[in-house]
Amino acid sequence: MMNLITGFLEQCRKLPDKIAFCEENRSLSYAEFRQQVEQLASFLQHNRKTSQPIAILLERGIDAAIAIYAVLMSGTSYLPLDVKNPLFRLQLIIADAQPEFVIGKDVRPDWLNDSVGWVEQSEPPQNGESLMGFGYHLYPSYENQSESIAAILYTSGSTGTPKGVALSHAAMLNFSNWAAQTFKLNPQDKMASLAPFHFDLSVFDLFSGLSSGASVYFIPAKLTLSPSRLTAWLSENQISCWYTVPSLLSFLAFKGALDITPLPFLKKLLFAGEVFPTPHLIRLAQLLPNVDLYNLYGPTETNVCCYWQVDRTKLQPEQAIPIGVSACGAKLKIAENDELLVACANNFSGYWQQGQLLPRDSSEPYRTGDKVSLNNNGEYCYHGRLDRMLKCSGYRVEPAEIETVLNQIAGVETCAVIGMHDASSGQRPAAALVLKNADSLAEIVKTAREKLPAYMMPCKFKVLAALPVLSNGKTDTLALHPLFDD
Amino acid sequence: MKEKIRRFIFQELIFVAEPEKFSDDDNLLDAGLDSMGIMRLIMFIEEQFGVTLPDVEIDPDNVHSINALEQWILRHKA
Repeated sequence: MMNLITGFLEQCRKLPDKIAFCEENRSLSYAEFRQQVEQLASFLQHNRKTSQPIAILLERGIDAAIAIYAVLMSGTSYLPLDVKNPLFRLQLIIADAQPEFVIGKDVRPDWLNDSVGWVEQSEPPQNGESLMGFGYHLYPSYENQSESIAAILYTSGSTGTPKGVALSHAAMLNFSNWAAQTFKLNPQDKMASLAPFHFDLSVFDLFSGLSSGASVYFIPAKLTLSPSRLTAWLSENQISCWYTVPSLLSFLAFKGALDITPLPFLKKLLFAGEVFPTPHLIRLAQLLPNVDLYNLYGPTETNVCCYWQVDRTKLQPEQAIPIGVSACGAKLKIAENDELLVACANNFSGYWQQGQLLPRDSSEPYRTGDKVSLNNNGEYCYHGRLDRMLKCSGYRVEPAEIETVLNQIAGVETCAVIGMHDASSGQRPAAALVLKNADSLAEIVKTAREKLPAYMMPCKFKVLAALPVLSNGKTDTLALHPLFDD
Repeated sequence: MKEKIRRFIFQELIFVAEPEKFSDDDNLLDAGLDSMGIMRLIMFIEEQFGVTLPDVEIDPDNVHSINALEQWILRHKA
C-alpha cells in the first residue's frame, strides 16, 4: 500500500548518500534524514495515547521537515502552525484542533494549554545515540493508511474562526505523484523551498521532491528582502526547480539582477497562490528565456486542480493569463453561477473542527467559490471570488475572521472589513469601525495588531458614525469601498 | 524628500495608528514592510526622485528606516 512517505523510503534505499535537505549551515543525506525521522517517530509512537494530530511549532527548515515525516511515520496527521501567528491565533487553532502534542524548540511555552503535550525537538544526537534517550522499536504503522488523514492545514474561516482543511494520504499522494511526473522531477533536481509548511505549496517540496530523489534547499528567509542576493543564491546552489508565489517572482523580475546573473541551471519555475500580473510575467519570461514556467491553481481543499504551461507567444500585457486545463485527473465543471466545481482525488476529506473530522460527502464536487470561464482554447480563466474571501500576499483571508477579532476589542461597537485592490499584494483588508469612544482608535489598532497576523491586519481604518446598511439590514459593503479611496 | 517617502509608506504600504509618532529611525520592516512593499517603494522613489537604485544594494540595511532610505537615495543622487 502506497502512502505519502513510501516514495521517500524507496529513495532512501536507492540513494542513501544523496542530499535530502540543505539549509544555511546544515545538510542531511536521505539516510541521515531517515535516521532522525525514525528516532522522533519512535518516541511519538510510544508516548502517544490517542490518534489526535500532532502540531508542529517550528520555523520552516530541516527540523520541521523531520517533525513532519516523523509524525506521518508514527501513524498520525501533522498540523503545521505558523510561528509568526500571534499567540491569540495559535491558541485558537490549538483549542480547535485538539492535538495530542506540540513539537517545538526549547522549553514548553507557558501559554500552551495543560491538556496538550509538549515535545522538545532537541539537537541531533551524536553517534547514532537515540533521541532523548529512547531506543524504541518503530512499528510499521505507516503502512496501509491511504484514507487516513495525513495533514491538517488551517486557513481563514468564513464563520469568523480559522478552520482546518483535512487531507488524506491518498489525496496528497495523488497531487505529489502528478507533480513529480508532470514536472519530471528526478535525482538530479535541486529544488528551492520557501513556502511555509502550513501552505499547500510545501507539499510539492516535501513529498514530490523526496519521492523523486531530488535535493531540497531551504531559502534563507532574509533573502526575500534582497532580490539580487536571492538570485545569487539560486545560482550558487544550482537550483533547477522552484515552486513559489508570483509576488516574489515579480520582485525578482524587476529588481533581482537577472540580467547580469543568468540562471543556467534553472529549468522549471512553478507559481500559484495569487494572480501573476501579466506585465510582470512577461518581464520574467524574457529574463529567463530557457525556463519552463507554469501557472498552478487550486484552493487548499483541492490542491492543484488546474494548470497552464506559460505559452510565451500568447502573453499580452493587458490580458490575464489562464489557469489552464485539468490537473491531477480533476473533473472540472462550471456551475450556473459560473463557479468552478472540482471533483478530484486530491480533494480534502472534510474540515477538522473541535478535535475531529467532519467528513464531507466525497461524491459531491468541491465548490471553489471562484468564478471562472472557458476561453477559445478550452482553457479555464479566473475572474475573482463569488463570496467575500480576499487574497492578501498569497494568504486566504476571510473578512469575517478579522471582523470577529475586531468586534471582540472593548472599544469597538461594530465593524465591517472589505478588500482594497493593491498593486503588489493582490488585496489588502480595510476596516470601517463604529467606536464606543470617539478617541480610542490608536488603542484599538494596537490590540488588533497583537491579535491578527500581519497579512490580516487592515491597511486602513475608517471611523464611521454608523455602517451603511442595505434594505435587508445587512451591511452594504459596496458602499464602503469609496470611503477608502483617497 | 523624507516627507514624500513617509506619506507614500504610510498611505500605501503599511498602516500605523499614529504615523506622526513613527520616527525616522523606527524599523519599517518590524512595522510590516514586506518584499512587495519594498518593490513598490523603490519604484516610487526611482520615479519621484529620478534616481536609479542598484539591484545589488536592495537590502534590509538600506531600507529598514526612513533615515536609511534617505541616506541610500542621497548616495545615488550626486
